[in-house]
Amino acid sequence: MRLLSWPSVTQLLLAPLVIASASEYNDYSENLLLKSLPGNSLLASFRFVSNGTFDSHHSVFPRSLAQILQQSQTKELHLKFTLGRWDAEQWGRQVWDGRTAGGTGVELWAWVDAADDAEADARWTTLNNALSGLFCASLNFIDSTRTIRPVMSFQPAGHHSPEGLERLHLLHGTLPREPVCTENLTPFLKLLPCKGKAGISSLLDGHRLFDAQWQSMSIDVKPVCEEDGKCQLQMEQTKPYAGGDSCFPLSGVTDLPWSLSEMFGRPIRGSCPLAVVPTEEATHVCVNIAEQRSIFVSQGSEERKKSPELRCFILHENIDFDIVLPELSPSTNLLPTTPPVYASRSLTGHGQERGGIQAVLNNPSSNSTVEFVYLESLPWFMKPYLHTLSATISGKDDRNIIQDIYYRPALDRKRGTQLEVRLRVPPGETVLLNYEFDKAVLRYTEYPPDANRGFDIAPAVISILDPASQKSTFSIRTTSLLLSLPTPDFSMPYNVIILTSTVMALAFGSIFNILVRRFVGADEVIGGGLVSKIRGHIMAFAAKRGRAGGDKPKTE
Amino acid sequence: MSILTSLRSTRILKLLPLVSALCILVGVTWLLLLPLDDYSRRTYISENALLPGQVHTYFGGSEQDVFRAYRHEVTTLGKNASADGSGVMAEKIGDIFDAFGLKVGKQKFEYAAAGGVYAGENVYAVLQAPRGDATEALVLCAAWVNTEGELNESGVALVLALARYLKRWSLWSKDIIFLITSDSRAGPQAWVDAYHDLHAPPAVASLPVKSGAIQGVVVVDYPTSRGFESLHIVYDGINGQLPNLDLINTAVRIASGQMNIRTTLQEMWNHDNRYKDRLCTMLRGMVNQALGHASGPHSSFIPYHIDAITLQAYGDGWHDEVTLGRAVESLFRSLNNLLEHFHQSFFFYLLMAERRFVSIGTYLPSAMLIAVNFTIAAIGLWLKSGRLNDKVEGQSTDGKVSEEKRLLKSAGEAPSSTEQLDAVSEERPLLLSMAFVVAIHFLGFIPLYLFNNLNEKNSAGAFYIFTLLNVVLPPVLCAIFTKSFAPTSLHFTLIKCFSLLLLGMFLSALATLNFSLSFLIGVFASPITFISPTPRRKWTIGAAWMTLLQGLTPTTALVGVALYWGEPLSEILKEAAFGWRVWGMWTQVVVWCVWWPAWIIAGVLVAGSWAVEG
Repeated sequence: MRLLSWPSVTQLLLAPLVIASASEYNDYSENLLLKSLPGNSLLASFRFVSNGTFDSHHSVFPRSLAQILQQSQTKELHLKFTLGRWDAEQWGRQVWDGRTAGGTGVELWAWVDAADDAEADARWTTLNNALSGLFCASLNFIDSTRTIRPVMSFQPAGHHSPEGLERLHLLHGTLPREPVCTENLTPFLKLLPCKGKAGISSLLDGHRLFDAQWQSMSIDVKPVCEEDGKCQLQMEQTKPYAGGDSCFPLSGVTDLPWSLSEMFGRPIRGSCPLAVVPTEEATHVCVNIAEQRSIFVSQGSEERKKSPELRCFILHENIDFDIVLPELSPSTNLLPTTPPVYASRSLTGHGQERGGIQAVLNNPSSNSTVEFVYLESLPWFMKPYLHTLSATISGKDDRNIIQDIYYRPALDRKRGTQLEVRLRVPPGETVLLNYEFDKAVLRYTEYPPDANRGFDIAPAVISILDPASQKSTFSIRTTSLLLSLPTPDFSMPYNVIILTSTVMALAFGSIFNILVRRFVGADEVIGGGLVSKIRGHIMAFAAKRGRAGGDKPKTE
Repeated sequence: MSILTSLRSTRILKLLPLVSALCILVGVTWLLLLPLDDYSRRTYISENALLPGQVHTYFGGSEQDVFRAYRHEVTTLGKNASADGSGVMAEKIGDIFDAFGLKVGKQKFEYAAAGGVYAGENVYAVLQAPRGDATEALVLCAAWVNTEGELNESGVALVLALARYLKRWSLWSKDIIFLITSDSRAGPQAWVDAYHDLHAPPAVASLPVKSGAIQGVVVVDYPTSRGFESLHIVYDGINGQLPNLDLINTAVRIASGQMNIRTTLQEMWNHDNRYKDRLCTMLRGMVNQALGHASGPHSSFIPYHIDAITLQAYGDGWHDEVTLGRAVESLFRSLNNLLEHFHQSFFFYLLMAERRFVSIGTYLPSAMLIAVNFTIAAIGLWLKSGRLNDKVEGQSTDGKVSEEKRLLKSAGEAPSSTEQLDAVSEERPLLLSMAFVVAIHFLGFIPLYLFNNLNEKNSAGAFYIFTLLNVVLPPVLCAIFTKSFAPTSLHFTLIKCFSLLLLGMFLSALATLNFSLSFLIGVFASPITFISPTPRRKWTIGAAWMTLLQGLTPTTALVGVALYWGEPLSEILKEAAFGWRVWGMWTQVVVWCVWWPAWIIAGVLVAGSWAVEG
C-alpha cells in the first residue's frame, strides 16, 4: 500500500471582526482541527481569530483590511474563495455549519452603511475594487449585473445597533468562474500575524494546499460589541487524503496511515508567539478521529483529551510539531454525518434558445420538516419565467412546498435576476424545483475570449432556517453550472465583410448594367458606330472652336 | 426590363431543359471529382488545446490482470443473464463501480415501437474530478450488447478497468462518466434524454446522479477476447449529423500515430487510399448519412450537440486490450485538455480516408446544383405557361427565328414592346393546380403514419400491398382528376411547375442540413424534370416513362437499402419505425412528404399524357 495520488480537501477560513469603538483590546488565537472523513479523507480546518479596532496602530488585526473597511463604510464583510465541490454524500455535513464555505469561485457579501441605494452601490464598488487589489482576485468584476440584494437568505452575524441596522445595505456578489490559486493565498497569509512562518499557518503551503479535492478560504469581519471591540480573524483549512488500491478492488478496508508532514509537506513550526496562550479550552491542534485509532505526536506538546474522539494538543514555540497516525485494519468505517439538506442542481433541455434548471432538494431527516431559502443569482442573459417555477414531490405538484417567493427580474445589461424561494420539505421527501428560462443573444463584444466554453452560473445558496427565529442556521451551496449561449463564429464577421465586398464589386456592377441598359439592334441606332461617334465629337469641337473664334473679335 | 424580356424569349426557354440537364451532370461529376487529391484536403487538428498523443500512457502492467478478471466476470455474467436479465447486469456492474468509490446510478427504460418492447437498465458511475467544479463531463461508454447483438465482453471489461485506473489520476479537469448501456440502440438514447431531462417518465426513468455539460463521448466496442487488427471508427449520428472532425482526427492520430493501430472508416477494411476506395468510403458515408439511423451507441449523443464516436475493434491481429486501453486513456487526456466545447474544426464534412476529407464549401455545390435544376425547370415552366398560345402561333408560322427577330425589333420601341408582352401573357388557372399539388403532399402523411405505427409482423405485408398500390395510384389519381375537373394541358404544366418548385426548395434547404439525403433524393428524382407535361399521342413514350418512374420510387429505394444491408425488408421497416419512435429520425418525413409526392405527381403527369389527349 502506498500513497499514489493526493486528491485532498482544504478549507481556509478567515473571519476578522471589527468594531469602531476605541478599545485597545487586541488578541489573536489560532486553531487547527483535523477530522477524519469517510472514504479515507481528511479535513483540515484552520481557524485564525484576530480581535482589534480600527484606530489601533499596533494591532494583530491587519491594517490593510481595516482601512478598506473604513473607507467603504463596510460594517460586516464575508469573503469566500472556494475551489472544487463539497461531496456531502461522502463527507457529510460541513464544519462550522457551512457558514465558512462559499460557492465555487469567489463569493462576497457585505453590509454597507449608506443613506440610500446609490451611495451603497458606490461604496460597494469601492470595497470590491480595494479587495480586488488586496487579494489579487478579479473582485472588481462584481458590477451591478453580478450584484444582488438578498432579502431572506442572510442575516448580519455581528452586533449592530438598531439605528445603525436601518442604514445598512446588504449586497451580495459572485464570480463563479474565478479560479482560486496561490496568488490569493499569499495575501491571505500576509493578513496573519505570524505570516505563515510559525504556528499552524506554517502548514499553508500552496503546492500541497491546492492539490486538495476541495478547499475554501474565507474572511469574515463582524463587529462584536459586548466584548468591547474585538477583531477576529479566522482561517480554516481542510484536506482529505486518498490512498491507492491494491490489485483487487478491496480498497476501503483499512484506514490509511497519514502524518502532518506527509499531508502538508512539512511539520508545524512551533506555535505562533503572538497567539494568546491557550487555556484549558483553547488549544492549538485538535484531531477528531475514531477512538480506536492510535496517534503519535512529536515531543514538546501537551495533550488535552476533550472526549474519546477529540484529542487536542498545545504547542510550544520553536519546537516542530508532527502527528503520525499508523494504518489501522480493519477500518473504523466512519459514517458521514447527515447535512440538513442534500442539494444538487443541473441544467435541463438542450439547444441555444431556451433551457431549464432543476434543483433536487432532499431532506434526509426521518422526522423533522426542514425549511430553507433557496437563493439564485442569475446573469441577465438568462431570463427565467417565474410562471414555470414549480416544486414537485414524487411527481405531484404541491402548493405547500413553496412558502414565499422574492423575485427581482433582470434588466438587460444592468442587473441580474434575483430569485429567493422559501421552501418547506417534509421529512424524507425529495423536492424537484424546476423553472425554465430563455437565453439572450449577446452582442459580439460581450463574449469572453473563450466564448464556446459557456458561461458559469453561480451556485445557488441554500440557507436552512431555524423554525423559531427564522434565521439562517446552516448554509449549503450547490455546484456551479455551465450555460452555453448561442455563440457566433467569430471569424464570421471577417468572412462576411470579405465576401460581401467581393460580391458587391464583381456582381453588382454587371447586374446593374444588365438591368438598366437597353439593348437595341445595331441597325436601329441613328449614326451608330465608334467612327461616326468620334467624327461627331470632332465636328462638334471644331464647330465650337469656330464659333468661339468667330465671336472673339466681336466682343473685343 | 431587358433581362426579363430575354428570359421570355423562346430561345432561352428552349435552353432551360438543357441547363437543367447540365446542372445534374455537373452536380454528379462534381461529387465524383471530390476524392481526387486536388479537391480534397488532408485532415488536421484545428483545436490546439487537444495535443493528441503528446502524453505518456501508463495503462498496462497489473491493470491487464485486473482487466482479465473483469472480462471473466463479464463473460460469466453474460452467459448466465439472458436478454431480460439486464437488471442483474446493472446490479453487478453497479457494485463493481461502487467498490471504486464512484457515484453509481441506474436507469430503467422501456420503449414501445413497431409492436415490440425495448426495455433494459443502464448503469453508470461518475468519477468526480478532483478540485473540479462539476461543470463539464466526459463519457466513456460501452454497450453490454453491441449493434451486431454480440456480448461486448472486452469493451465492458475495459471500461471497468479504465474506471478503476483513471480514478487514481488527480489531473482530471472534467468529470468522467462511465456508462454501461444494456443495448446499443435504445439504452444510450434513454440515458442521454434523461441526462437532459427530456425523457418521458415513467417509461424512461430519471437519472439519480448527474454531472456537468458533456463535452465528448467515446464508445468502446470490443466483443471478442482475442487480439484485434484495426480500429474501426464509427461517427455517423442520427439524421446525418456528424461529430466535430477534431474528435475523429484526434482518435485517428492517437491510434495510428501513438499506438500504431491501423484505423478504418465506413467498413472499408482494406483501404489503399486510391481513388476507388476513397470514392467508396465517401459513398458509404453518404448512404449512412442519408439514412440518418444510429450507426452505434454514440449516435444518440450527437443531436444534443455532444461530439461522440465509437471505437470498434476489428479483425484478428496482435493488438490487445492494453493497446486499446492506452488509446482511450490518451484520447481522454486530450479531451481533458479542452478549454472550450468542440467548435474549431468542421461539423459538415465527408471523409474519404481516415486522413482525407472535403468540407461543406467544397461538396455543397453538387447537391445544390441538383436541387437548382428543379427550380430552373419550374421557372421555365412558369414562363412557358404564360405564353402558350403565342408559342403555338409562332411555331405554326415561319418558325421561331422570325419570331425572335420580331420580338427583338419590337423591344427596341418601348410602347410596342409592352403591347407585345400583354399579348403573350395569359391568365394562369392557379387554384386547381396548386390545390392538387398541396393535396398530394398531404397524402404523404398516410404512408408516413402507416409505416411508423404498424406492427412489426404486418409491416412487410403492408409494404407489398403499398408497393402494388403505388404502381396503380398515379393512373387512378389521374383518372379521378381528369374526370372530376377536366383539366387542360396548362393545368398539367402548372402542376409540374409547382411540384418542381417545391422539390427544388425542399432539397436545397435539406442540402445544408443533410447533404447526402438531399443529393440522393435529387439524383433519384432528376428524371422528373424531363417529363414532358404536354399530352402525347404516342403511348409508347408514356409507357417508357412510367417504367422508368416505377424503377425510381421510394419503395424501390427501400428494397435497395434492404439489399445493401443484406437484411430482410421487415427488419428495415422495423428499424425505421424504431428510429422514428426512439431516435427522432426524420428521414421518413423527407421520403414520404417530399420525395413520394413529387414522384406521384410525375406519375400523374405521365398518365395525364394519355388521359388528356387520348
